[in-house]
Amino acid sequence: MEILRSIYEVAGFIVLIALGVGALEAYFYYHFRYYDRPWFFPVALAAFPIGALVAASAIAGSYEFSLWFYFLLAEALIAAAFRYVVKGRHTVPYLLLAPAFVGLALLLVYPFAFEVYLSFHDLKLNTIMMWKNTGRIPFAGLSQYVKVFTTSPLSEVTFWALLGRTLLWTFSNVFFHVLGGFALALLLNNAIRFKGAYRTLLVIPWAMPQVVAVLAMRGEFHSQNGFVNIAITKLLAAFPFLASLGVAPVQWLSDYPLLTCTIVNIWLGIPFMMVVILGGLQSISSSYYDAADIDGASYLQKLRFITVPLIKPVLMPAVTLGTVWTFNNINVIYLVTGQAGGTEQADILVSALYKAAFTYNRYSYSAAFAIVVFALLFFISVTYLHGFDAAKEER
Amino acid sequence: MASVQFNGIVKKFKDNLVLNGVDVDIKDHEFVVIVGPSGCGKTTLLRMLAGLEEITGGEILIDGLRVNELHPSKRQIAMVFQDYALYPHMTVEQNMSFALRLRKTDKAEIDARVGEAASILQLQPFLQRMPKQLSGGQRQRVAIGRAIVRKPKVFLFDEPLSNLDAKLREEMRVEIAKLYQRLNATIIYVTHDQVEAMTLAGRIVIMNKGIVQQVGSPIEVYRKPANLFVAGFIGSPTMNLLSGKLSLQGEDLFFSNGDIRISIPPYLLHDAKKHDGREVTVGVRPDDVLVGRTGEKCSDKVEGVLEVCELLGHRENLYIKAGNTRLLATVEAFFDRSPGAAVSLCFNYKNMHVFDKATEKRISE
Amino acid sequence: MLRKITRWFSATAEDASAVLRDPIQRAKFFKYLAIHVIIISTAALFVYPLLRIFSVSLRPGDKLFSTDLSLIPDGATFVAYASLLRDTMFLRWLWNSLLITLATSFIGVSLASTAAYAFSRFQFPGKKAGLILLLSSQMIPAGMLILPLFLMIMKLKLMNTYLGMIIAYSVSSLPFSIWILKGYYDTIPRSLEEAALVDGTSQVGAFWRIILPLSTPALSIAFLFNFTTAWNEYLVARVVLFSSQQYTWTLGLFELQGQYITQWGMFAAGSMLVTIPVLCVFLYSSKWLISGLTLGSVKG
Repeated sequence: MEILRSIYEVAGFIVLIALGVGALEAYFYYHFRYYDRPWFFPVALAAFPIGALVAASAIAGSYEFSLWFYFLLAEALIAAAFRYVVKGRHTVPYLLLAPAFVGLALLLVYPFAFEVYLSFHDLKLNTIMMWKNTGRIPFAGLSQYVKVFTTSPLSEVTFWALLGRTLLWTFSNVFFHVLGGFALALLLNNAIRFKGAYRTLLVIPWAMPQVVAVLAMRGEFHSQNGFVNIAITKLLAAFPFLASLGVAPVQWLSDYPLLTCTIVNIWLGIPFMMVVILGGLQSISSSYYDAADIDGASYLQKLRFITVPLIKPVLMPAVTLGTVWTFNNINVIYLVTGQAGGTEQADILVSALYKAAFTYNRYSYSAAFAIVVFALLFFISVTYLHGFDAAKEER
Repeated sequence: MASVQFNGIVKKFKDNLVLNGVDVDIKDHEFVVIVGPSGCGKTTLLRMLAGLEEITGGEILIDGLRVNELHPSKRQIAMVFQDYALYPHMTVEQNMSFALRLRKTDKAEIDARVGEAASILQLQPFLQRMPKQLSGGQRQRVAIGRAIVRKPKVFLFDEPLSNLDAKLREEMRVEIAKLYQRLNATIIYVTHDQVEAMTLAGRIVIMNKGIVQQVGSPIEVYRKPANLFVAGFIGSPTMNLLSGKLSLQGEDLFFSNGDIRISIPPYLLHDAKKHDGREVTVGVRPDDVLVGRTGEKCSDKVEGVLEVCELLGHRENLYIKAGNTRLLATVEAFFDRSPGAAVSLCFNYKNMHVFDKATEKRISE
Repeated sequence: MLRKITRWFSATAEDASAVLRDPIQRAKFFKYLAIHVIIISTAALFVYPLLRIFSVSLRPGDKLFSTDLSLIPDGATFVAYASLLRDTMFLRWLWNSLLITLATSFIGVSLASTAAYAFSRFQFPGKKAGLILLLSSQMIPAGMLILPLFLMIMKLKLMNTYLGMIIAYSVSSLPFSIWILKGYYDTIPRSLEEAALVDGTSQVGAFWRIILPLSTPALSIAFLFNFTTAWNEYLVARVVLFSSQQYTWTLGLFELQGQYITQWGMFAAGSMLVTIPVLCVFLYSSKWLISGLTLGSVKG
């Protein structure tokens, strides 16, 4: 019965969303179609604010007449924009875009703006009750941003240390992803038997649910029961001389957490790059290689002068995306180093940000922090993409 | 079947004027080929007729009815696209019946029409196949079949043969000609290939830079090109064009460009005095350059040197240099002279054309 | 049949000896041998953790922490699976995850498919700004929007419900899906829609009848991406859901891992049960995935 009820609940919700999309489309259709009629303004101002009021009270479960005034104001602005600016042009694309962008505006842009608002105020554990009761938070100006650069988001590590660590983390991960992915793709791109089976096996880390994959890998780095240390112990038993070289079982999780996270994440990220690069390799016409063979190019020369330049257009967006994803990768750090508290040695910017908000409850501080990180990431990717465009021009 | 009229059609993309006042009348049952170099606006014109491109100015009438604002499907036209545009996820049969199914035609009628079109185009064995299982020529036939099934008033072909190899193109050209005889429909056919235009058309519309250069039957545009562009565009190999000056000596008009000096008889240009000192371009097709022989109504002798011979089989192309002027002559094979030999030639007055150099318009008869 | 097999074997044996005598052939043989060895050992490394979970899940309760590395442990049992299904609400968690994930993927893909079409086929003011918005949304740090979303869901009184989760998830994969689909639509020739227009569909009809059916591979990729993102999510789930009745499997597994030490076996069993279906779906669609990913980027 409960299963039926849950299906009913979700299906009902989807129907509701479909109705909402329908209403949205009808609303915009009216504005696109009838913007030049004499009755456009009266009808729009009469009908839509009331409709919005009814919908809002239905959703909120309470009724507040003052909202009507705001809706009226908004509708007047929107209607005027449609009458004097849009003038019924580009109806089809805007109608197609409307649902997605209204969704993004409500669930992405609005939360983002709210974070910006928070970053100029001071919301933390002490002020949250005040906010709940009065709806007001003390204004803080730029002081949160100053604090981002001067104080630690957690208890010891500073912003600059985190930044350095994040850059190191991102660079080493992406570097090994591309290197590993490239090597495997080159191997797989030969005419070998069992190619399909190999490829299937090699994408497994990517295909596994990340939570499971990371926790499984974490188990392998356990000091006693993990594969890594067991393997080291067995190696030492077989070749005792290794001990004199300093090889010994290590407390991976507590002594080298960032290294452990990096190894785990490299393992996770290679398959994606391999798949992308393999796709790129397969699209290179073999006639280039034939021509190079006739010109007397060695294997490495072919790699350098044909393969690398030709997969660049495929690789660059993937690398950009991979960089952003790695920079932003909270899962691996969070899951490997323990979900709350735990060590700070492995934290990168985004995981510190998460902990600052949800372990230390410094909401405004973490908002300012997030905006700084966003700006940083935006700057990095724009630089990257510029490089990509330049490479495209060259071709 | 129907007539089509273009009245003062203008098309602008942003600030770029693509069509500049096109007027063409196409009569019922006519096979009209619009031909021109790429970028001349011919495909745009066709797409405007189909309703796929907005009309900036002027109007298009089908059967006297203004269709400027009509949805493509309401214009009673069918179009064969350059890349065929077969729906890849539908079988041949579904492709052909799509338009009818959209109009909720009843099943028996659909089957009958698809069957008829398939038998005309010999497509019966392929009806259940997907487009990607067909060869280029078969896809082409399906695209045509899709048009036939709709029984439209006007068929539009947008460079339908340009994706086929040379041999198949010849075959399909004949197929389309046969189809026209059978359907007896109004067909508007766009191509950049003047051979297709010459062989298929009842009338040819030659366009360049958004302007109609000449409209006429294949023979007319071949024999009497209205201007320099048409002269150079129609005919293969290309016409020899010599620019020079006319001058009057006594009663006779002479053309000269420094290397060649020939008299221009009065039946080519009346009123010799009027043309004295005029800058002109003279055009002679390679076929009308007579080498080593004279015909009646032939010009004065021109002396030249043979540079290269190209044997085509029954004909032979001779590249001849007279002073600094290069001439191409096409003669019957085998021309028994080796490169470097001196040759004398003359131009056949019957098919000589004189164009004004400034206006590029034809001034000879 | 039998003769064929013996002949094949003898032929390869002859070939093998012939191959080893010819120096060029021999080099080739060793090259391929090396490739196989490298790939197999890498693959072993890649698959190993999954096999280990499997082996842990089969261990009897008293041997969970042994240093045994064998794949099928001594005294292998399905006890962990049985107690997982019997003693915990694992099936319920799976069901919760499935419902939430399917609903968000459905909503996400539907919205993305039309929006991507607008970006692919039309020119309109704000197009570039829209694309930049999509791109920059990828740079929002993980966890940044959790707090506002949490507050919003609280205001809507949807805490601890499916609907709250669906709302929170629904647009998270939208930008990426729009990019992928736009890249795919861009490769479909426009003449197909024009042919459909001439045949009598409207612009929207051409999209519905021609473009959408042709885009099944890209739509599957977008769906898969939406699906895996929501299926694996736990940061938002942790703040929105608080009763174990409503948990998604990620939260449920955390609980198993957190509470008692003895639940490692169950944790492993649960991991296996959530991994296998996802793995199957993923491997099934991996061909499309490759073409889709490269298509989007090459043409983008």
